Amino acid sequence: MNKANRKFSMWKGKTPTKAVIYVGLIIILFVLPLVTRSPYYLHILILTFIYIIATSSLRTIAISGQLSLGHAGFMSIGAYVSAVLAKELGWTPWLTIPLGGLATAAVAVLIGYPFSRLRLIYFSMVSLFFGVAILAVNATLSDYTGGAVGLIAIPPLFASSKLPYYYFCFVLLLLSLLALRRFEVCRIGMTVKTVAQSHWVASSVGIDESNYRVLALAVGCFFVGIAGAVYAHYNLVLSPNGFNLLASINLVIYMFVGGMGSFFGPLIGTATLIIIPELFRGIKEFVPYIYSGIMLIVIFLMPQGIASLLGQVKFWVANVRERKTVRHAS
Amino acid sequence: MQIVVTGAVNALVLSSMYILVALGFALLLSIAGILNFAHGAIYMVGGYICYQFAVGFGLNLWLSLLVSVLIVGLLGLLLEKFCFRAFFGDMVNSIIMSVALIIILETTVNVTVGVYIRSIPQFASGIIRSGAISISAERIVTLIIGGILLLLFTLFIKKAKIGLEMLAISQDPVGAVLQGINIHSICALAFFMGCGLAAVAGCLMGAVFGLSPFMGDFILVKAIQLVILGGIGSTFGILVAGLIIGSIDATLPLFVTGAVTDVVGFGVIVVLLLLRPQGLFGRREP
Repeated sequence: MNKANRKFSMWKGKTPTKAVIYVGLIIILFVLPLVTRSPYYLHILILTFIYIIATSSLRTIAISGQLSLGHAGFMSIGAYVSAVLAKELGWTPWLTIPLGGLATAAVAVLIGYPFSRLRLIYFSMVSLFFGVAILAVNATLSDYTGGAVGLIAIPPLFASSKLPYYYFCFVLLLLSLLALRRFEVCRIGMTVKTVAQSHWVASSVGIDESNYRVLALAVGCFFVGIAGAVYAHYNLVLSPNGFNLLASINLVIYMFVGGMGSFFGPLIGTATLIIIPELFRGIKEFVPYIYSGIMLIVIFLMPQGIASLLGQVKFWVANVRERKTVRHAS
Repeated sequence: MQIVVTGAVNALVLSSMYILVALGFALLLSIAGILNFAHGAIYMVGGYICYQFAVGFGLNLWLSLLVSVLIVGLLGLLLEKFCFRAFFGDMVNSIIMSVALIIILETTVNVTVGVYIRSIPQFASGIIRSGAISISAERIVTLIIGGILLLLFTLFIKKAKIGLEMLAISQDPVGAVLQGINIHSICALAFFMGCGLAAVAGCLMGAVFGLSPFMGDFILVKAIQLVILGGIGSTFGILVAGLIIGSIDATLPLFVTGAVTDVVGFGVIVVLLLLRPQGLFGRREP
């Protein structure tokens, strides 16, 4: 293996066509705002980018065998910490956004150690209660957070135009995806996956199970905190309803619909479930039916998520070909 | 004295309603191996059907309760047959399925009835007095119905042949099928019973606290709390956990504001779970 190859070993095994697709997609998304200029489309894309970061970070936690059902609660920590710091102390959002991410990661480490005793469904359920409890904590601190009314007049990151937000979120998305991918394919990520597959085996070869679980939780929560903070300084208004139980479950659904087995599953799932329902804005009351219709189509036709579609099509094609050759032979 | 009795009655009413919903949720979790997040939405639909028959069609209140339970039970049968049978034991896809159901049911109620809060008429009006203590008759009736159903359910699971078959399936599905138990009809019955119990709770709570399309989210969290705290696969555990959580929810708001209650309830659950990760009465996982 030569030097250049080793440098990008995360692309190892990728065929050139895949690289072309990635680069093409990135270029299209870079040029898109110059073509459309419509603030509405930019708004949808910005939201999609932010939620892709959140969903991908959720997957980073999920590969450690911990399905977090309170992820929107973590997102709200980042959002509120950053917004309150920027509003009350007058700090610049450029400083408070990373602080929001760090605060979320700190909370994750604090609760991660006790939670790492719980496995599978018990962890999921306790994280679900955690997401609900964060909202309650938010309501008790209503002097700072605004309680149920919400927090308004958050300092913006950029002046009123949506274009800088678009490029900022896009670059942030690329950087986060690179970091999360790097985390997943490096040795630590492999160890985390081992812990998820069998904690008995992991412990028997000397892996400290709870440390790795907490590490995955902290990494995932750092990125979701950042996503929440960016959302706060983009939307400029925060309401606790945006981070309730249904929001947490929605993030999980984005990941499942895209496909949990693939790194690009959360990307595909989030983009599908945010953008396609937006196409039907004309019939606003019935949009939830379309949203749930997509989910039903996915579970009945693509049980492994949309990301598995390509593999399935290949499998069908191979099957058909095989049948033809068998018929020819007989 | 008055406040103690009222607090105790409220605690028991809340506990019994939580337990009714949680029992259905736990039944589906242990028998079919699915996490049915739509259980809260089914509870909500039960309340709305009762409201529609009692207020919209002017039917007798008790009769409309019965009709609501039957309709929701049949809905449960349909759900088992057409929605969940393909996903037994498949956590990921059954979660997607149930969330799709939540969205469909809530949107349907939103579009047809509207988002305003409705109220089912009282099942029993007036106040029962005994000396210096007075209690609303409504709550007593709710408590009695809840208690009777809980008793019947527990007896059914422990004594009846079908109940024992349910226990067998929850312990080992493959072994149960090898013994000649028809797993699909048992699952259908479990869906019928689970959804029916949720509908009863929805009607009774709708009379006490009012109906809203999103009332299911709250009770869903409570049901999950009960099941996890009591231990998966344990009916007795659910009863104990229901009494604990119901008492916390009913008595703490007397002393602190509402939001703190949630934080305290969460704290209690987390501490208990950290002491016993498999729940209070759960089987230790292999």
